[in-house]
Amino acid sequence: MFLWNSARLAPVLLTALAMVSAPVFGQEKTLDPASSVKVDLQPDSPLAWISMSMGDSRASTRGGAMVLDLHMSLTWRNAGFRRVRGVTLLISTQEFAPGGKGSVSRPCIDIAPSQEFTMPIDIRLVRPIQQAAAGPLVRVQIDGVLFDDFSFFGPNKLNSQRAMTFWETEAQRDRAYFKHVLQASGERGLRDEMLLSMAKAAEHSQLDVALSRNGRSVGSIVPQGEHVEQFAFLQIPGSPVEPVHGWAEISGNEARSPEIEILNRSSKPVRYVEIGWMVKDKEGHEYLAGSVPGSSTAMLLPPGQKSRLLPDTSLRFSRTGRPVEIQGMTGFVSQVEYADGKVWVPSRDALKSSPLLRIMAPSPEEQRLADIYANKGLAALIAELNRF
Amino acid sequence: MASHPSEIDLALFAGDDCGMVSRYFLNRHVRRCAQCAAVVAQFEAVRAEMDMPPLPDVDWDRLELEMRANIHLGLEAGECVRMAVPRRTRDARLAVAFASLAIVVSAGFLMKRAPVNDPSAHKTAEPVLESTGAGIELRNGASSLTLMNRHGAVADQTVSAEGQIRARYIDNGSVTINNVSLE
Repeated sequence: MFLWNSARLAPVLLTALAMVSAPVFGQEKTLDPASSVKVDLQPDSPLAWISMSMGDSRASTRGGAMVLDLHMSLTWRNAGFRRVRGVTLLISTQEFAPGGKGSVSRPCIDIAPSQEFTMPIDIRLVRPIQQAAAGPLVRVQIDGVLFDDFSFFGPNKLNSQRAMTFWETEAQRDRAYFKHVLQASGERGLRDEMLLSMAKAAEHSQLDVALSRNGRSVGSIVPQGEHVEQFAFLQIPGSPVEPVHGWAEISGNEARSPEIEILNRSSKPVRYVEIGWMVKDKEGHEYLAGSVPGSSTAMLLPPGQKSRLLPDTSLRFSRTGRPVEIQGMTGFVSQVEYADGKVWVPSRDALKSSPLLRIMAPSPEEQRLADIYANKGLAALIAELNRF
Repeated sequence: MASHPSEIDLALFAGDDCGMVSRYFLNRHVRRCAQCAAVVAQFEAVRAEMDMPPLPDVDWDRLELEMRANIHLGLEAGECVRMAVPRRTRDARLAVAFASLAIVVSAGFLMKRAPVNDPSAHKTAEPVLESTGAGIELRNGASSLTLMNRHGAVADQTVSAEGQIRARYIDNGSVTINNVSLE
């Protein structure tokens, strides 16, 4: 009887064994670039797509889910006649991420005509196995290209023109500042500034944030003491817009529906404002939590007029896996875009005006210059500054 | 040692969450591979730092009653089968199999029903955007998209209350900014 049972059970056990060990061994395969990724280029694109490397991209199954790890490098050539200062690629994966979209940007570059450059795209996609795939898994499109004269090409579906214009404006501000330091204080002064920037970046502590629309964030703690917390505002010297007052609903580690009233103090109409948002925890530590932007479609703020920034989202803050209970909030104007497309960012002097602003992360360009100093030395940094 | 287990398998191994056979093979690999042993140690350290997550809001008493009732039902069904075919001697096993199946089905039914009655569960079906050490994750039900930092680079993350998270990192001297936004 035992032998008969064992004979019957053996295939079952072997099948079960195969199923248990399958996630570890096998069921992984490398991806075919041609069928997995589609690069869509507009006919008049100033960038020519040269090649794509899929690296160690692979597909695997985990339980009832299909997991795709894509590690791509896309090589482009500047096919136009102007120097490229920034590129944003739109990444569409509608089957995997309904309700959202992604992009990868490369700011602070200086690509001459005919020069090639590479952009990395690293994505992990998970979806139920049962869900049928139709067409390529990932679609890559150019959302925008910013040139050295601030002209722009692209559909701008993600407002990448504004983002890249701000980054380039900050980059010009910071390069001018470090050049001035070099002229005024020499190599020693520039080195001290770089060391200061690196120390600031190392001290910069940030929060983990979960964000959702229309209601409470997933996993938030909701103590009884839910309340409305007022913003305190830092006035930035030279800011064309003044935050008048604002508040957000606070419950524990969650802030909901922030609302900020602003006044246009400049002589030009404004179409976009962003308020930097700092939060203080129970121990008194301050963090740059995020920003409260004004909608570009709804807002055109004439000189002397007021408007309200009303994003309808919930943000849940945590740090190293623990909720950060919010005890206070501070706001300051960090970016302004006028109706004519010109932008304002705080000056370096303004950023030094308050100790609170030291918790801000350095700009992308300052981070890049500090990286050159750290990896290649002061001579390479000076050479880089002199390129512009 | 040509190929290594994936990070997911190592994470499951570190959390003692993989199957017996997987565990055996992973354990054998980790004992011989310093690189994977280090990864497992990191996962264990992170796990140790984290609090246990709260239990789901389930009526355990009701669940227990349902399961007991289904076990009885399964056993009774087994008895019926035994009476109908008295010459077969392994029918009790069949009954146990039916009972187990009934438990699985009823548990699945209860678990599927629970979110309907729980208002907070509706929120999990909405897209949620979250910054993690590895990158930015957009979850929507069982599907997700994560834009990751290359080579595990440490990124500066900025959050916009308009519904987007950006992660910025340096790779080979160039700045890359990943951005994921809610629609």
